[in-house]
Amino acid sequence: MIKVSNLTKEFLQGQERTRVLKGVDLNIKKGEFVAIMGPSGSGKSTLLQLMGGLDVPTAGDIQIDGKYLNKMSEKERTIFRRQKLGFVFQNYQLLPTLTVEENIAFPLHADGKLTKEKNRVIQELIQAVGLEGLHRKRANLLSGGQQQRVAIARALVNSPTVLLADEPTGNLDRANAEEILRLLTVFHRENRQTIVMVTHDIFAAGFADRIILFRDGGIDQVVSREEGDYAKYLANFMA
Amino acid sequence: MLNIWRISWRNITHNKKRFFFTLFAIILGTSFITAMLVADRTTRDVFNYYTDMYVANADYWVLSDKHTYPEKMIEPVQDDPDVTNMLLVLQKQAFFELEDDHSLSQRSVRIIGVSDQNSPLLVLPVIEGSLDNKGVILPKTVATLLGKKVGDTVRFEGLGEAKVSAIVEYTQLLASPSDWDSAESTSFRVLVPLDMLREWTGKHDEISYMRFQVNGDGKDLFHSLQQQFRGSGVFIQPVVADDLQNNDISGLYTFFYIVAGLSMLVSGFIVFNTIYTSVIERKKEFAIMKSFGYTQRSVSKLVLIEIVLLSLIGTAIGVPLGIWLGDLFMQELLSMLQFDIVYTLNWRLPAIMAVTVGVLFPVLFSLFPIYHAGRTSILLTLKMASQSKGSSRPLLIRAVVGLVLLCFVFIDHSVTYAAVLAGVILLFPLLLAGLSRIIKPVLNFLFHYAGSLAAKSLFQQINRNANTAAILGIGISVILLLGAVVESAPEGYEQEIRNTYGGDMRLTSEAPWSTEDITKLRSYDGVLGVEPLMEATPITWETVDGVSRQFSVFAVSEDGPALFADQHEEKLYNRLKQQNAVLLGERAFDEWGGEIGQSIRMNTPNGEQSYEVVGVVKTSHYSGYVAFMDEERLKEEFGWTKGFDLLLTVDNEAASSIRDRVWSDFRDHLSKVQTVEDEIESTTSTISGMNELILMLLFMIIGLASIGTANTLLMNTLERVPEIGTMRALGFTKQQVRNMIIAEGLLVGLSGVIGGIAAGLILIYVTSQSELMDGFMSFKLPYSNMIMAVISGVVLSLCAAWMASQSASKIDIQSSLKEG
Ligand SMILES: Nc1ncnc2c1ncn2[C@@H]1O[C@H](COP(=O)(O)OP(=O)(O)O)[C@@H](O)[C@H]1O
Ligand SMILES: [Mg+2]
Repeated sequence: MIKVSNLTKEFLQGQERTRVLKGVDLNIKKGEFVAIMGPSGSGKSTLLQLMGGLDVPTAGDIQIDGKYLNKMSEKERTIFRRQKLGFVFQNYQLLPTLTVEENIAFPLHADGKLTKEKNRVIQELIQAVGLEGLHRKRANLLSGGQQQRVAIARALVNSPTVLLADEPTGNLDRANAEEILRLLTVFHRENRQTIVMVTHDIFAAGFADRIILFRDGGIDQVVSREEGDYAKYLANFMA
Repeated sequence: MLNIWRISWRNITHNKKRFFFTLFAIILGTSFITAMLVADRTTRDVFNYYTDMYVANADYWVLSDKHTYPEKMIEPVQDDPDVTNMLLVLQKQAFFELEDDHSLSQRSVRIIGVSDQNSPLLVLPVIEGSLDNKGVILPKTVATLLGKKVGDTVRFEGLGEAKVSAIVEYTQLLASPSDWDSAESTSFRVLVPLDMLREWTGKHDEISYMRFQVNGDGKDLFHSLQQQFRGSGVFIQPVVADDLQNNDISGLYTFFYIVAGLSMLVSGFIVFNTIYTSVIERKKEFAIMKSFGYTQRSVSKLVLIEIVLLSLIGTAIGVPLGIWLGDLFMQELLSMLQFDIVYTLNWRLPAIMAVTVGVLFPVLFSLFPIYHAGRTSILLTLKMASQSKGSSRPLLIRAVVGLVLLCFVFIDHSVTYAAVLAGVILLFPLLLAGLSRIIKPVLNFLFHYAGSLAAKSLFQQINRNANTAAILGIGISVILLLGAVVESAPEGYEQEIRNTYGGDMRLTSEAPWSTEDITKLRSYDGVLGVEPLMEATPITWETVDGVSRQFSVFAVSEDGPALFADQHEEKLYNRLKQQNAVLLGERAFDEWGGEIGQSIRMNTPNGEQSYEVVGVVKTSHYSGYVAFMDEERLKEEFGWTKGFDLLLTVDNEAASSIRDRVWSDFRDHLSKVQTVEDEIESTTSTISGMNELILMLLFMIIGLASIGTANTLLMNTLERVPEIGTMRALGFTKQQVRNMIIAEGLLVGLSGVIGGIAAGLILIYVTSQSELMDGFMSFKLPYSNMIMAVISGVVLSLCAAWMASQSASKIDIQSSLKEG
């Protein structure tokens, strides 16, 4: 479903070329919940951004639903993003002048007119993330946990092929983090929603089907729930 | 010290585009101010130059109230040892003899015979040929119109012929029409040697006037001559450099200053917007500086130096640019004033003034942000991650105060203008809010969701956006008012001319009219009435401050033609009859500087006399730079006995045939035939030309204000980098982001245009209702200027928005998401 092969990314900084991703190969199945873990600066966010079409790779291919992201034009990628992808960011990135409802509706608005059917989806999502009664509230007046719940609803409003989350719990306290993770698991279990989540948090990673351990621009180890040695590898990695 | 300047330079150029826009605003502002100052100085110079040229070195002249007087009358002058130079002049009205077919009125020419073409009392700037005292001297316009060169022969009907010996630049002495149309109602003027003209006319012992120069002030000679000439019809006048009778351009200077002030306001405001925003952005930086022990003053100083640096660069570029613009403007202006004249650009003093103003005004407009920067609180700033949103209370107060100020509309005072403008500025947030609601469907239709977002995001910085629109609005409204004044001026003048011209046609002769002439004219078909008109000229007088001036004194009587308009005409005629009194035209009264009841001192043919000023009246004659006196008293006490003008009341259809007939019947002494229509035409055509200039200025000011729009939109964009990045991440295309910014620009521009037109109409209404303006202006919609304002306002705002949108669409998604 998601096929990443030989993905390479270099950044030019002044005269210097730094290779942030060094030929990453990765396959993610439909309905899978994958966590990417690794030290800071190892290239996790870069990988996620490339998978989300926010940037283009230096070399290699990214295929989502049979379409090559790296072969699309800027505009095609943008439209692909709003129709097929959902994003959740560490710092929520809500649009401060818009209300909760309007924030959630944003990807739909960008794509065209709102239909009755789509409006119903929005209301259901607001219910699902537990923000009833806050429809009309301005986004910048909410608490961090509430904002991230809006962000999740926004990411799911277009029924994305894949939900990409970059440290969604990074700015939250334990209770709020658990609530967000619970929501993600619910959408994963009940709707078979494909999720790729970058995280620092071993607790958060524990919710995933598969954990990809990232180090220095490449995949170091892959640990699956089915393989049984999940806990062992994790402990290993942490040490 | 060098260090702080270098830091400042880094700070102001940190944001390249904003630096560029702000600098551009200062450059344009300074250059417009410079251009206006240059235009002001140069225009004054031009008029002074020609007045001085006309005066030359002459101190006094001896004239008479007849066409000519015997040369022997001036023997006392010729014999006086203090007299250093003399110029004897004889004038004769004649007609060119031409190959082409032209009417008598078109061919009429005043031949001026002078005793010495090289006299220091004459200034003749020669272009071609030489002043050899042998031939005819033509001003350039006449030479061009007649197709004559030096050495060609010019023939005068019934007099003789002479070769052209020189062609000279424009001078007042030889002021001539430059095309055949205007030749219809004005004479050409050419210069010939006195002897030649005497030969042609047989007037060997006569002169029209003589001018002379004396050692010292010549007061004694003046007074003794005044005594000697008394009662003879010959009189002496000092030569005074005063050309106000021939031009009324004081309004022009006001115009220059309004435009300069407006440019300063608009660009100063752009500076304010930028500096204020940059100070807010850098609060954290200032807080850190303060926590390291910088004082309030040193933080303010840092910002101050940045602004001084900006304005120094702006002025260095703006002033030279302004001098060049001023030159362009002068060319346009003088060609519009129909002066075929050369000018030297006076730029030194204006440049110095502009440099001063150019450096000071940005600082002045930044004082508040500078103070604000210094006052940054360390704790509050470092603690607060994001600023809390302000409440809507201040906006409400702003609107209420704005409405109150608008109520000044009902008060007839010059303060009203400032109050209305301030009120409109305060009401702009309301206008912007209202407008964005009203045209939301349109924006939605044009730009879809990006349009709705634009309306929302404008509210994030409602004050800044409203101020930006306001400044565009103020520019538009003031120019609309100027335009309306200029546009309705012709109508006002036309009205005034018709009311006070005194007839339908004015005949001027070089010799006094006889009763036979008048009887003959009365017998013409189509002539309904003939009234003599007496104009004593030139009469020198003194302002309250003792400055010498000169104008004409007209004779009036209750049963004579109406030369002025006043509500209490009857009473005024009576007062004039009962005592030695005069009425002054409005402009003369203003220039005189006294009050009704005071006396004005004049040099009359009967010597120096004082006349009580008993009233100020409206008149079109010399645009009000005249005096009126009772007819009998003008003859008796004043000593002016002859009339050279007649005012005819005629049938409209017969006007042109009467014109032809008088030219042939009185060809030996008629010098000018002017209808009231000619006078209206020549007065109003100049003013209509001003309209083009107004449109040009409208465009310039809107252009300047649009730089402000671009700057504001750019700031809006840069502040929202993370937001715009998010929008892009969520699937907004670059085009949608651009549309959003363009829609914002459209909103700002449209509300500026709409508010500006509304404010302009209010100002025009106030002006038309004002007692101060005396019904000079009627309330009319200035359509052409309004259309121009809408088109250029919207188009230039869109250009500004387009520039800002380019930056917005270049925002890099990943880096914008990383922040925060
Ligand atoms: N736009 C960029 N330009 C230059 N270097 C970048 C850019 N984005 C990321 N990097 C570098 O790439 C490396 C990986 O970054 P990132 O993917 O954000 O790491 P992680 O999310 O694993 O902490 C870091 O060293 C970072 O400095
Ligand atoms: Mg990261």
